[in-house]
Amino acid sequence: MMEAKPSNLPKSFIDQPVVPGDVVLDLSSMANQTIKLGGGLRQDCDALSVMKSGKLRFLKPNKYWVESSQKRYAPSVGDNILGIMVDSKADNFLVDIKGPALAYLPVLAFEGGTRRNIPKFEVGTLLYVRVVKANTGMNPELSCTDATGKAAEYGPLKDGYMFESSTGLARMLLNSPTCPVLETLGKKLSFEIAVGLNGRVWVNAEDPSTVILVSNAIMNSESLSGLQQKIMVDKLLQRVQ
Amino acid sequence: MGLVSVAGEKERIAYCLNGHLKLVDEFVLVAKRGTWSPGLWNKMEQRFANTLRMTVNEKKFIETALLSDLRVDGRSPFDYRRTLDLATTCREDGSSEVQLGQTHVMGLVTSQLVQPYRDRPNEGSLSIYTEFSPMADPSYEVGRPGESSVELGRIIDRGLRESRAVDMESLCVIAGKLVWAIRIDIHILDNGGYYRNRNLVDAANIAALAALSTFRRPECTLGGEDGQEVIIHQPEVREPLPLIIHHLPIAVTFGFFGEDNIVVIDPTHYEEAVMRGRMTATVNTSGDICAIQKAGGVGVMQSLIMQCLRIASVKAADITSKIKNSVESYDTERALRKIKRHSSSPALDVCEPCAKWETLEESVDQKGVHDLPGHHLERLKLTSEESGVCHINSSECGSQLSEQVRTNRKDGQARSFIGGPSSWDPYSKGVDSDALKASLASHGT
Repeated sequence: MMEAKPSNLPKSFIDQPVVPGDVVLDLSSMANQTIKLGGGLRQDCDALSVMKSGKLRFLKPNKYWVESSQKRYAPSVGDNILGIMVDSKADNFLVDIKGPALAYLPVLAFEGGTRRNIPKFEVGTLLYVRVVKANTGMNPELSCTDATGKAAEYGPLKDGYMFESSTGLARMLLNSPTCPVLETLGKKLSFEIAVGLNGRVWVNAEDPSTVILVSNAIMNSESLSGLQQKIMVDKLLQRVQ
Repeated sequence: MGLVSVAGEKERIAYCLNGHLKLVDEFVLVAKRGTWSPGLWNKMEQRFANTLRMTVNEKKFIETALLSDLRVDGRSPFDYRRTLDLATTCREDGSSEVQLGQTHVMGLVTSQLVQPYRDRPNEGSLSIYTEFSPMADPSYEVGRPGESSVELGRIIDRGLRESRAVDMESLCVIAGKLVWAIRIDIHILDNGGYYRNRNLVDAANIAALAALSTFRRPECTLGGEDGQEVIIHQPEVREPLPLIIHHLPIAVTFGFFGEDNIVVIDPTHYEEAVMRGRMTATVNTSGDICAIQKAGGVGVMQSLIMQCLRIASVKAADITSKIKNSVESYDTERALRKIKRHSSSPALDVCEPCAKWETLEESVDQKGVHDLPGHHLERLKLTSEESGVCHINSSECGSQLSEQVRTNRKDGQARSFIGGPSSWDPYSKGVDSDALKASLASHGT
């Protein structure tokens, strides 16, 4: 860290693996600039240091954050996630989101939600939801509507199969352009998929064998490169057909 | 969260937490005293958040898929595992690590001399302890053994004890006074995490067997005036003895699903949450059934159990060969390590004394450092010490070096020998720099 040259840091650290303690940016050299910090970064006077291991990401014009793969999910506002209904209270549903605490889903946070038409969910219902509040020291808050109050695709997911993955794998599945596993699978099979950034993936198809094949292909692709993913999926498909 | 609602919810909380009555008591106390600490609620919510949760979707899917003989991890109902999935490694005497799918278990065997039980004066004892760390699965709690951890220990214990797999009488030192107590610790390192989680019982059983097979207890003999004094020999002095294991009882778990009792072998964590009944059959390669544990309320036909037992004995043969292979490879590795150690130490003992005198005289003559005889003696001591150190080093560097030194010795070249370990003396002033360099070089190889 000591011999790190701050002058040429921004370019060299972006998209590179970083570990806690790395100083990735020197603010003294960039006056009059506003930058936005995401998760995993901390400002120490003029230095931006890393707080968790992962890859440093940069989005133009000024956003920096550290991306890592975890088993647990740290809630952040705007994420689309898959939650499991745990309990229902008078005002809130309690939802498990793989986070440090259970999240609250207000009973009115549905399209056209009023006191009269509170939805009923069985314990264990899988919900596709959006995080609207994620403050420290508070339970995160969820919503089943988009920002304009429409139901969009949010709500309970029926049938299908849900499995858990790391947050990194979930992010890979959501990347655009579409990741090779989904692309290769999608050419041969028809299935529905919902990916939650909290590391939960739901797959549905008419035939259970398709669901099993797709979910296993996705689980296997965690540590594979794009080409390897394609080969793996092709092999799987050959074995089945 | 108000106080009143918490007190009112007492029953439901007790129901949800399934036996965590201590916590409910805490709540009641708090309610009575009329104080409210948010810490308590947080503590409970934490626990609440950590339990394994399954969605309705998963439960339904697992059952419907099984109707068409499909399992969620891509195996067929009687597929124990793909070959790669089971990895057993032994690194030290009495320890083993087993990886079954993503489940990771460590077995550790230790021994202690204790007084035997009164009813079994000439038999050693065997005890099993399980350790479920919260690192392995957030639903485990520190210091509170759950139902599953007790059951796990009991199944393994029964398999080993009831089938008399380990010879207990050979563990007796003095009948009625001293016997070896064998303790098996099973640590769950990873309960699979998020997917491909295999059942713990089978993995833990394999870990226990592998650890027992590599375990060696120190040899002890009786001595002293009355022949009642026990001498425990260090492993360097006398080779430690392995346990006498007659056979390996392998636990194979089956799960029963649905109305018509669909059977699967080696259920995953998720399947375990859905299945109605479970049976663990402990069998060995010779076809003996050592123990059966049947959990869950569902009734199972006799013919089905017989079918399971037949399958179990086939699988047991596979697993036994796996364990034996890993133990064998560990044993050969261990033997190799021992050969290395022995090859260097006799060289030190046998060849050294005469050679040392010679070279010392020579080097002393060469350099002309004629000091007091006291200094001479001191040097002798130093050289012998140093040479010992060097030999240990050389054995670590590999046998090549020690061989090289030995051939040099045969030639009788004084110079090259000075370069060897015995003249390495930091206190002598007369060592020339060439020799020093040479000696350093020979160490470096």
